Amino acid sequence: MVGVSIAAAVLVGLPVGTLLFLCRKGQIFENRIIFSILNLLVNIIRSFPFLLLVVFLIPFTRMLIGTAIGTTAATVPLSIIAIAHYSRLVEQSLLDVPKGVMEAAIAMGASVRQVIFKFLYVEARSGLVLGLTTSIISFISYSTIMGVVGGGGIGDFAIRYGYQQFKTDLMMYMIIIMVILVQLIQFTGTTVSRMIDKR
Amino acid sequence: MITLHNISKSYSCFQAINSVSLSVGRGEIHGIIGASGAGKSTLLRVMNLLEKPDEGEVEINGQILTKLSRKDLRQARKSIGMIFQHFNLVANKTVSDNVAVSLELAKFPRKVRPSRVEECLQFVGLSNYMDKYPAQLSGGQKQRVAIARALANNPQVLLCDEPTSSLDPNTSGEILTVLQNINRSFGVTIVIVSHEMEVIKSICNRVTVMSEGQVYDTVSIQPKGIGMMNNSPKFFVDQLTKDGDVGHA
Ligand SMILES: Nc1ncnc2c1ncn2[C@@H]1O[C@H](COP(=O)(O)OP(=O)(O)O)[C@@H](O)[C@H]1O
Ligand SMILES: [Mg+2]
Repeated sequence: MVGVSIAAAVLVGLPVGTLLFLCRKGQIFENRIIFSILNLLVNIIRSFPFLLLVVFLIPFTRMLIGTAIGTTAATVPLSIIAIAHYSRLVEQSLLDVPKGVMEAAIAMGASVRQVIFKFLYVEARSGLVLGLTTSIISFISYSTIMGVVGGGGIGDFAIRYGYQQFKTDLMMYMIIIMVILVQLIQFTGTTVSRMIDKR
Repeated sequence: MITLHNISKSYSCFQAINSVSLSVGRGEIHGIIGASGAGKSTLLRVMNLLEKPDEGEVEINGQILTKLSRKDLRQARKSIGMIFQHFNLVANKTVSDNVAVSLELAKFPRKVRPSRVEECLQFVGLSNYMDKYPAQLSGGQKQRVAIARALANNPQVLLCDEPTSSLDPNTSGEILTVLQNINRSFGVTIVIVSHEMEVIKSICNRVTVMSEGQVYDTVSIQPKGIGMMNNSPKFFVDQLTKDGDVGHA
């Protein structure tokens, strides 16, 4: 579940975030209409309480997967929130790239594609990694809710067997595992982002 | 080499450049001086179309840039180098990668890239800094990397926007010397925008004075040479007390 949402974040969230950035005022693709639409969409998705988003998306999920119940179906709302979440963080990291760097690239005759891959992403890479780390941790948290649509997962397990069957120790173990997992992810993300940051 | 014809550029309702015509001859070092906000940088950025003029024509090396397709404009930019006040290097690339990227963009044959990078860095005196990152360099060194990057594709023209304005006088002198060498060794036409009279007087043969978005005058001058400042503390004290009316505290 979380794996698919991470893939969605990188494969779709990264381009969407980049487009958000490039369509801003004063940027190379400046386009108010595209920017406003994407911006609004991302805001709306992110302002939904996640549980409501899951319920709201049931018809869409059913259309896409054939059912709205189960682990596969659970990846649909999770991926959608993942895209919205990460694209915003991508946009923010790209905003940290000094404008002069892009200008130098354009002055050297770089195409839009080259500006993005040879300059923007290179300069923003530590922010992109940190953002993805933050996102992954949020996805894990979101995924615990997926039990309501039979998505399974560690959160579902903790509630069903730990909380509902009064096995408090089981619930505690699950929480401890989650804490360790999150620590590990954050540590890895921070370390990697520091290693690739030469600024 | 460079001809601007009736260029105008405005931002919302503010007219930054007002019908400017200007020509820069081949092999010239052409200065543009004027007060802050006079439109010097905007005019320079019009030359490689980083700013699209509202009106007028830009011609460089026989090509009318304002009439080129996006693709041809990109191609043309590869032989127009540009350096900036704040260097604008890619902080996450090493010194040699910063230079190499400009070769990469120009599809310079991969095999000979490393030797070309080294050659350019040698020219600016930084061949021992290939694997350093910009953050590990001084301002003057960063500007030299930027010059090496601009030089890599054998440009016909080098546009310089306040290239020495964030450097100390001594380092400024070094950078100006490098620019002069580029002009002499490779015949590159150079345009330098600066608000500093010293800089302009030292190496330019022709100077355009700008005021409020217009050309006030263009004059030919004899470059005065680059006066290297002395960095010794004694020199500073001597300069400070030169008029003889200051006592030691
Ligand atoms: N992107 C921009 N948007 C709005 N105004 C601008 C922009 N760039 C420059 N200007 C204005 O145009 C005028 C000329 O700017 P500039 O060419 O940078 O002057 P100079 O380099 O001579 O100091 C200034 O008044 C500046 O505020
Ligand atoms: Mg300026």
